[in-house]
Amino acid sequence: MSDDGMTLLALFQEVDPAAEAVEKLREMGVADERMNVVSGVPFKEEILGRPRVRTHVPMFALGGAIAGFALAVFLIWGVPFLYPLYVGGQPMFPVPPLLVVGFELIMLGMLTATFLGVFVDSRFPSYEPKFYVPEISDGEIAVFFDCPAGMQAKFEKAMQSLGAESVRTVEAQEL
Amino acid sequence: MAATAKPIQSIHAQEAEDDLRENLLFDPRPRSEINSMVMESMQTAGWKFWAVTTFVALFVLVALFGVWIYLILNGMGVTGTDRPIYWGVFLSNTVFWIGISHTGAFVAALLRVIKTNFHHAITRVAEFMAVFGIIQTGLSVFFHLGRVWRSYWLIPFPNERGLWPDFHSPLSWDFMAITTYMIVSGLYLILPLIPDLAMLRDHSTGWRKNLYRILALGFRGTEDEWKHLRAAIKIFSFAMIPIMVSVTTVVSWDFAMATRPGWSSTVFGPFFVVGAFHSGVAALVALLALIRITMKNMKYFIRPETFDSLGKLMLIISMAWAYLYFNDYIVPWYGGTSLDRLLLKFHETGPFAPMFYLMLTFNAVIPWALLWNKKIRRSPWVMFIIGLLIVIGMWFERFLIVPGSLTISANPFTWRIYQISWVEVSLTLGTVAFFALLYLLASRFLPFISPWEVQEGQESHTIRKVGKAGLPSASDID
Amino acid sequence: MTTKTKIPEVAVSQSTTDQGKWGMVIDQDICTGCQACVAACAMENNVSFVGEDDIAYGRGMHWIRIERFWKGDYPKVASSYQPMLCQQCGHAPCEPVCPVYAAVHSASEDLNLQVYNRCVGTRYCANNCPYQVRTFNWRDYARPEPLSNQLNPDVTVRQRGVMEKCTFCIQRINAVEDKAASENRQINDGEMLPACAQACPADAITFGRIDDPNSKVSQKARDGRGFMALEELGTLPRITYLKGGSLHGSNG
Repeated sequence: MSDDGMTLLALFQEVDPAAEAVEKLREMGVADERMNVVSGVPFKEEILGRPRVRTHVPMFALGGAIAGFALAVFLIWGVPFLYPLYVGGQPMFPVPPLLVVGFELIMLGMLTATFLGVFVDSRFPSYEPKFYVPEISDGEIAVFFDCPAGMQAKFEKAMQSLGAESVRTVEAQEL
Repeated sequence: MAATAKPIQSIHAQEAEDDLRENLLFDPRPRSEINSMVMESMQTAGWKFWAVTTFVALFVLVALFGVWIYLILNGMGVTGTDRPIYWGVFLSNTVFWIGISHTGAFVAALLRVIKTNFHHAITRVAEFMAVFGIIQTGLSVFFHLGRVWRSYWLIPFPNERGLWPDFHSPLSWDFMAITTYMIVSGLYLILPLIPDLAMLRDHSTGWRKNLYRILALGFRGTEDEWKHLRAAIKIFSFAMIPIMVSVTTVVSWDFAMATRPGWSSTVFGPFFVVGAFHSGVAALVALLALIRITMKNMKYFIRPETFDSLGKLMLIISMAWAYLYFNDYIVPWYGGTSLDRLLLKFHETGPFAPMFYLMLTFNAVIPWALLWNKKIRRSPWVMFIIGLLIVIGMWFERFLIVPGSLTISANPFTWRIYQISWVEVSLTLGTVAFFALLYLLASRFLPFISPWEVQEGQESHTIRKVGKAGLPSASDID
Repeated sequence: MTTKTKIPEVAVSQSTTDQGKWGMVIDQDICTGCQACVAACAMENNVSFVGEDDIAYGRGMHWIRIERFWKGDYPKVASSYQPMLCQQCGHAPCEPVCPVYAAVHSASEDLNLQVYNRCVGTRYCANNCPYQVRTFNWRDYARPEPLSNQLNPDVTVRQRGVMEKCTFCIQRINAVEDKAASENRQINDGEMLPACAQACPADAITFGRIDDPNSKVSQKARDGRGFMALEELGTLPRITYLKGGSLHGSNG
């Protein structure tokens, strides 16, 4: 994340000071892309004053639903077309079974694609070193940001004045 | 003459606020404390726990897998099925476990969708119930197959035989539906589990830390990761509701599509859905009561409020069940064929009559008599017993529908009473034991409470002063 | 696998005449209930012997059974016998419910087929048969020497877990059709009889082509005493039963 400076971490216990800190960092010249807020519970972007995150998961869901329905059409109508076998008084290309199996496979396709979408969008699984501290899963809110060389003390002072529990430099580490 | 007593209104307001603080969401603790409570419940297990687990595991090995091998080697003749009762307890167990399993995912999904204030501590247990229950369903289906080693022929895949399964058959729809549900409920368990695995990774050491590190997939909790996860959980939660209804309905169509009296009823779809809900919520309540009583620290998470709210749900569902059962009863009673009416008489006066009356007692009379009372609803022990009785009553109902109704066919020459065999009893108890075993083992590795969801709930619910009263207020922080 | 058959259209019955190809007439007034047909069918089709205990529990595997009905009270009791076997329904409820296509309808013979190799033993077909004529191999039944010498080589033996039922002796139908085709002629009426019709000492069972209005079976089916079992269910059975009001009357 950083090029010539270093990465600082400001840890906050509550969400209000964290939101103030994000605004203060922006005032002090840190761009939004140079900041990363990591927390143990999800917060809406508006709460922290952060830009909206785009997610592709709903698109995966839609694609999966269409694929599932296509599979259902193949199974119910395509297979009897290729291998016709007659069974007691029912049409060769029945409609009600298509609706039943179609619904199930739409749901299956949609949800497996959604699940895969989470993996693809979040680039799971990834085990390289990352910026993370265990306090995050204890409910604290971590703000990682790039600090140009020489400005460390200034940022530290600013964060601590807003109520940060601790401010320190961090390296990317294995989780 | 100064007034020293507090005015009545503010005493009530204070009491109301104290009552409110008994809800988990209004009694917040720091996340680190919640994490350590959950981890403690996972890691402390005395010799009694391991003794019970070993016994259950041995029982599963012998009574489930051992007897199943005996069944495969000797054929279906060792069960109680015959002509005309070709489907016996294995199929009624299938429906029973489907009911329990589906309610797990349904409760987790529905309560998330309508954003209740009591679901945060129970969704994980419900999701486990979905996954562990559907495993028992699959086993029960496999038990009833005459040539189970060829059961893979129900899977539609290109093969050198040039043969595909027949999708005219409700059993093929069943296969698709149950497979869909199996996969989807597993995924629905995994998604909200990922942040908890990250927490476990951070707080564990040794081989456990390695295991959780791999399972947590590198989750940190960045805004991106939360956004994708929340979007997925939302899609899953909304989709789970029609999935639950449709899969239970498809299973009911195994019976409704047949031409047997007592089976060929158009109300079976909704009837089975509500029946599933009835047995499942009761099983969930019984499970939660057991977990609260036996596991450490669970008294903080699973509170009388949870049982109170679930009890109200149980009462409403038991009324819905009774309504649909009455529908299914009065139509053949009034204008059914002679066979339909004979079947009803058989239920009321035949050898299975005690089961019939017990079923009505457990499923309707007991909930209606007891669940009005708030004190009863808030008592975990009593709710455990009521839940267990409803589960047993619903098992009776499934028994009466499957082997019970098959007693009467269109050809009177073949009528026969079903006699359950020791093989079927053993395999039924085996599935219950396996269900319990899966829970016992899961309790050592996976958290039964989701700390991030509890914290989220606690952060979004506060008590707000409106006038003189403190009232609950919920905000959508995610 | 190649198939040149045209895809059948939506139709209630495979046959255009709605009445099938092979059919039977059973005269209940002549039937004495002697069970020769039951024995002959078991011999012809390698039906297993299940033993006393299993048959008492309803696991008998006879493809044809004699259903005995009593009418009246003692001493004026009358009995009547109805041989019940697979009706080879035109609109068979057992066919669409099999998930693996083990119960299908033959296009050429208009019979209801049970494919033993394909059956996985879900038993949905047996549940759905209103006549309850399908039998299931609940166990592997032994055939100790020298009973095994009696097996018919034209018919397979079935494993445990497989469903079976009357086939109108399709092995005999195939043999006769092969012979007729090799001699470049049609099958003569009465040339082929299933085992039950062949064995009946009273000639109560008549078999033949019901799509040929001049065959013996078609003529008998037009007898005024005819009815079809559970006709109101709409299964289009191919067997006509004759009962009541004839010279023979009922027994007693």
